[in-house]
Amino acid sequence: MVVKVKDLVKRYRDILALDHLSFSINEGEVFGLLGPNGSGKTTAINCILSLLKYDRGEIWIFGQPMRPDAYDIKRNIGIVMQNIAVYNELTAYQNIDYFCGLYVKDKNQRKKLVNEAIEFVGLGEFTKFYPRKLSGGLLRRLNIACGIAHKPKLIILDEPTVAVDPQSRNKILEGILELNKQGATIIYTSHYMDEVEQICSRILIIDKGREIATGTKDELKAMISLGEKITVESYSITEKQISAIKKLPGITSVDYKNNALIIKSGKGTNNLETVLDFIRKENIHFGRIYSEMPTLNDVFLEITGKELRD
Amino acid sequence: MFIHIFTYRLKCLLRDYEGIFWTMLFPLILATLFNMGFSNLNSAEMFNPINIAVVNNESYRQNQSFKQTLEKVSTGDDRLFNLSVVSREEADEMLKDNHIDGYIIAEQPIKLVVSRSGIKQNIIKSFIDNYMHTFSAISNILEKDPGKLQSLINDIESKVKYSKEVSVTNAEPDNVLIYFYTLIAMACFYGGFLGMGEVSDVQANIKPVAARINTAPVHKLKTFFYSSAASIIIHLTEMLILLAYLVFALKIDFGTKTSYVLLTTFIGSIAGFSFGAFISAIVKKYEGFKVAVIVSVTMLCCFLAGMMYQDMKYIVATKVPILSYLNPVNLLTDAFYALYYYDTLTRFFTNIVILTGFIIVFCSGTYLIIRRQKYASL
Amino acid sequence: MQVFKLCIKVINKNKYLLLVYVVIFLVISFTLSLTAVREMETSTSFKPAKTEIALINEENTPLINGFRAELAKVATFVDIPDETEALQDALYFRQVSCIIRIPQGFTEKFMNGENVQLGKISIPNSIRNVYIDLCIDKYFNTARLYVQNMNGITQQELVQYLKKDLYDTTSVEMIAKGEKTSVTNLNYFFNLFAYPMLSIIILGMSTLMLIFNDKDLKMRNSCSPISSTNISMQFVLGNLTFTFVSWLIMVLSCLLLNFKSIFDFNTVFLVISSFVFAFCCSGISFLIGNLVKSKDAITAVNNVVTLGMCFISGVFVPQEAIGSSVLKIASFMPTYWYVKANNTIAKLTRFTLDTVKPVLYDFLIIIAFGLAFFSVSLAIRKKYRSYT
Repeated sequence: MVVKVKDLVKRYRDILALDHLSFSINEGEVFGLLGPNGSGKTTAINCILSLLKYDRGEIWIFGQPMRPDAYDIKRNIGIVMQNIAVYNELTAYQNIDYFCGLYVKDKNQRKKLVNEAIEFVGLGEFTKFYPRKLSGGLLRRLNIACGIAHKPKLIILDEPTVAVDPQSRNKILEGILELNKQGATIIYTSHYMDEVEQICSRILIIDKGREIATGTKDELKAMISLGEKITVESYSITEKQISAIKKLPGITSVDYKNNALIIKSGKGTNNLETVLDFIRKENIHFGRIYSEMPTLNDVFLEITGKELRD
Repeated sequence: MFIHIFTYRLKCLLRDYEGIFWTMLFPLILATLFNMGFSNLNSAEMFNPINIAVVNNESYRQNQSFKQTLEKVSTGDDRLFNLSVVSREEADEMLKDNHIDGYIIAEQPIKLVVSRSGIKQNIIKSFIDNYMHTFSAISNILEKDPGKLQSLINDIESKVKYSKEVSVTNAEPDNVLIYFYTLIAMACFYGGFLGMGEVSDVQANIKPVAARINTAPVHKLKTFFYSSAASIIIHLTEMLILLAYLVFALKIDFGTKTSYVLLTTFIGSIAGFSFGAFISAIVKKYEGFKVAVIVSVTMLCCFLAGMMYQDMKYIVATKVPILSYLNPVNLLTDAFYALYYYDTLTRFFTNIVILTGFIIVFCSGTYLIIRRQKYASL
Repeated sequence: MQVFKLCIKVINKNKYLLLVYVVIFLVISFTLSLTAVREMETSTSFKPAKTEIALINEENTPLINGFRAELAKVATFVDIPDETEALQDALYFRQVSCIIRIPQGFTEKFMNGENVQLGKISIPNSIRNVYIDLCIDKYFNTARLYVQNMNGITQQELVQYLKKDLYDTTSVEMIAKGEKTSVTNLNYFFNLFAYPMLSIIILGMSTLMLIFNDKDLKMRNSCSPISSTNISMQFVLGNLTFTFVSWLIMVLSCLLLNFKSIFDFNTVFLVISSFVFAFCCSGISFLIGNLVKSKDAITAVNNVVTLGMCFISGVFVPQEAIGSSVLKIASFMPTYWYVKANNTIAKLTRFTLDTVKPVLYDFLIIIAFGLAFFSVSLAIRKKYRSYT
C-alpha cells in the first residue's frame, strides 16, 4: 500500500472541508480523485503532503506515518501543484535543476535526470526561456517537469491540465501513463470526467469532503441503475408514440425535448434494436440515432443528483 | 545542498531587477540627489566678508581714527567687511539692489542705514558700537589721567582675542551628514524586502513555490538559512557599494574609524534583513501588503531619524528620548553619527547593542513563526 | 466620450490615494514651513539679531555677571547639561551656535592683567560665531583698557564704567524694501507643492494609462470605430481634468492654511503659477504613462523623476543653497522655472507689466515644457498604434 488515509477531518472555521475521508492507494495504480470545485480534492492532497494541519485522521505513505520532517518519504514523492510553482527569475532548465537538486545531490545523475525530464515534457527548445516567456501549456509542462524530474515513486498531480489546450493536455496525459508504466504510483485530481476516465485505474469521487463512491470505472458504472441511453433526433414524434415506447420492455424512462428523444434503459438490457424496430414500424423520420454507455458524469449525477461541472 | 540552494538563490536575486533597484539603485540615486541638493547648505551659515559702504563725506574724511579702524577690518584674509567708499546716492542705490547689506554715515554720532534687520546688519552695528564704546572708555580714562594717552593708543592697537576654540573633537559639526547617515540606514532597512522574500518563499500559505519547497526532502529552515545567506551577501555587497559611493564619489565624511563604520553597515544590513523577515512572518497577507508595511514603517522611522528634516532627530532625542532608542533606523543613524562626531565610543556601542537586541528579537520572532511546518490554511 | 468617462471612473476609484498624498503633503509642508518662518525675520524697525548660545559659567563675579548681561543683548541662553555629548549634539543640530565656557579663575587673572581666554566650542567660520566673537572681544577689550590704564581699579568700578560705556548704541535707519513674511512663507509652501503635485499626477495618471495601454485592451479599443486621435484626445482631456481636480484640492488646502494672505496680489500670482505648473505635470505624467509598461516600474520611475526634479531645482532646499552647476542641469526641468517664478513673485512689491514680465517668461517656459511633453507622448502613441 503506497498511501493510506484514514478518517481524515479538516475544518476551516465552520466549513467542514474533509469529512472523515478514508482511502488507500496501491502500488502501480493511477488513482483519480474526482470532484467538483471546492469538494476538498486539493485540501486532501495538501493534508497528505503534510502542508496542512488537519483536525483528525491518520496518513501513511509507503507504510510510514507522514510527517513534515519525514524526509525519506518526501524524497520519493513528486508533486505537481495546481498553481504554477516556479521561479520567474530562473530559466526553464534552471528551475528543473533547482528543484531536482533538492532531491538528488549527485551532479551528474541530476544532469541526466533533468535532461530526461525536459525530453519527457517536450521542453527541449525552451530550456533557456524564462517562465514569463512561456505560453500557458508550456508553463504547465515546466511545472510538471519540476515535479517529476527526480523520478519519484509516488507522483501527485493536482489538476495539472487546468487551462491547457487539447494538444498539450493529451501530451500531459500520455506522459502520466508513461510514468505509471515506468513504475510510479500516481494520484491524479481533476474535475474533468473524460480525463479521469481516460487514464485512471481507480477512482474516488468526493463532494463536500465526503467520499461519494470509489472503485474502477466499471465498478462505478455498475453501481448505478442506468444501463444504456439511446438518443433519437427527430421532430415528428407524437405523444402516443412516446407512451408506446415507454411500454417497451426494459425501458425505464423516455424524455422528448428539443427535438431529441432520450430513451434510458435499465442495466443489463440492450434496447437499441427494439427501439429501431419501433421507429421503422411507426415510420418515424429521424436524423440521427445513437446509443451511449453510462459515463462518470451519469454516475455522479445519479449519486448526488446534480451535474458535475466546473 | 548549501551550494546548490545558495547559488540558485544568487541567480534569482541578481535577476530580480526590481529588487536590485529598490535595495541599491534607489539609495544611490537618492544619495546623488542629496549631494546635489545639499551641496551649498553648509556654506549658507558660513561667514563671508560683509559688503558695506561708507558715505564719502567731509566728516568721514576728517574722522581719521574711524577711517583707519574701518579700513583695518576691511583688509586681509580674515577681514570683516568688503568696503566701498561712495556717495550717499550711490550707497542708497547699492542697498536697494542688494549689493550691500548696509552703509555707514560717519557723522557725529555715526549712523547705520540698512534695509532689513538680519545678522549681517547686526554685525555692522556691533562693529560701530564697539568703536563708540572704546571711544567712551578712552575719554573716561583720559578724564582721570590724561597722561595715559600713549599707553591707550598702544593698548587699542593690540586688540586681544578673548575666546579660544576648544574643540572637543576633530570632526566638524557638518550639518548635512545626518541626511546621508539616515540614507544608509534607510537602504539597510530596504534590505527588508530581501528578508521578506526569503520568508515568503518558504511559507506554503503565501506562495506556490514555497509549497513545493515544503514538499522537498530538505528541512525548511535549512532552505531558509541557505537562501537567506545569499540574500544577505547580496545586500551586504549593495551596502558596501553604497558606502563606497558615498565615501569616494560624494566625499561624505564618516570619520576615521573605518572598521567600526563597516561593522555598523554590516549590523545595519542584518537588522534590515531580519526586520523584513519578521514583518513578513507576522503579517499574514499577500506580498503587496507586506511591502506596504515595510515601506511605511521604514519611512516613518526615517522621518523620526531626521531623513526628511534632520532637526526631527534632535527633537525626538530631547523630548521623547525613549523613542530614539526604539527606532532602529535612528539607532543606525546615530551609530554613524557617534562614530563621526564623538571621540568616545560609549554612545556608539549603546546603539550597536540595542540594534543587536532588535536583530535578536526579529530573528527569534521570525524563527518561532516560520518553524511551523503545517499550515491552518493554504 | 466613452474613454473620457471611463477615465473619470477609474480616477474616482483611486481617490483615496490622492487624499493620502494631500494629507501627508500638508502635514509635512506645514511642519517644514513653520521652521522655515523662524529664519525669516523681517520687520519695519531694526531689531537686534539674537543667536542661541550655551554659557557654562564656573564663576560668579561682578565682571562675569556684567559680561553675561552684555551677552544677553545678542544671545539667548539655552540650558544644556554640561556633558560633552549633549553639548556636541546641541551644536550639531544648531540648537546653539556656540558654547562658551568661563573657566575657574578667569576673573582673577583678568584683573591682574594676565592673558586669559574663554573656552568656546563653535561651528567654525560660521557667521553667528563671528557675531558672538565681536561681542566677547568688545566687552573684554574695553575692560582691558581700564585694567591696564587705571591702576588699582576694582571689579565694581570696572563694571560701572563698562555699563556706561556699552550703553550707547548706534542709531540705525531702516529703509523699507517691503518683503512680507507671509509671502515668504507662502512662497515656500508653493515651492514644496511641486513635489506632491508631481507625485499624485504621475501616479494617478500612470495607473490610468496602464489600464488603457494594456495590450489587449488597446487592441480592443483600436477595433472600435473611433479614431485613435480621438481616443488620444479624450485621454488628454481626462488627464487634464484629473490634474485640475488635484490642483484645486491642493491649492485650496494650501490657501486654507494661509488664509491671511489670500487677497494678496502675490498669492494670486502664486496660484496662477501653480496652475501653469500643474499643466506641465499633466504632460509629464502623460509621457510616463505612455512609456512605462508595468506598475512596479511606474513606482520606481515616479520616485526617481519627482525626487530628482525636486531635489536639484530647489523645491526642498532654496535655490541659493544649490551649486550653480547643478542649477544649470536643473534649468532643463520645469520645476526649476516654477520655483524661480515663485521666488520672483514673492519678492514683488509692485505689479506693473515691467516687474511681472520675468514671471510671465517663466510661465511661458513651463507651458512650453508641458506642450512638449504632450506632443512627444502623442507622437509615441501614434508610432506604437499597431503591433508588429
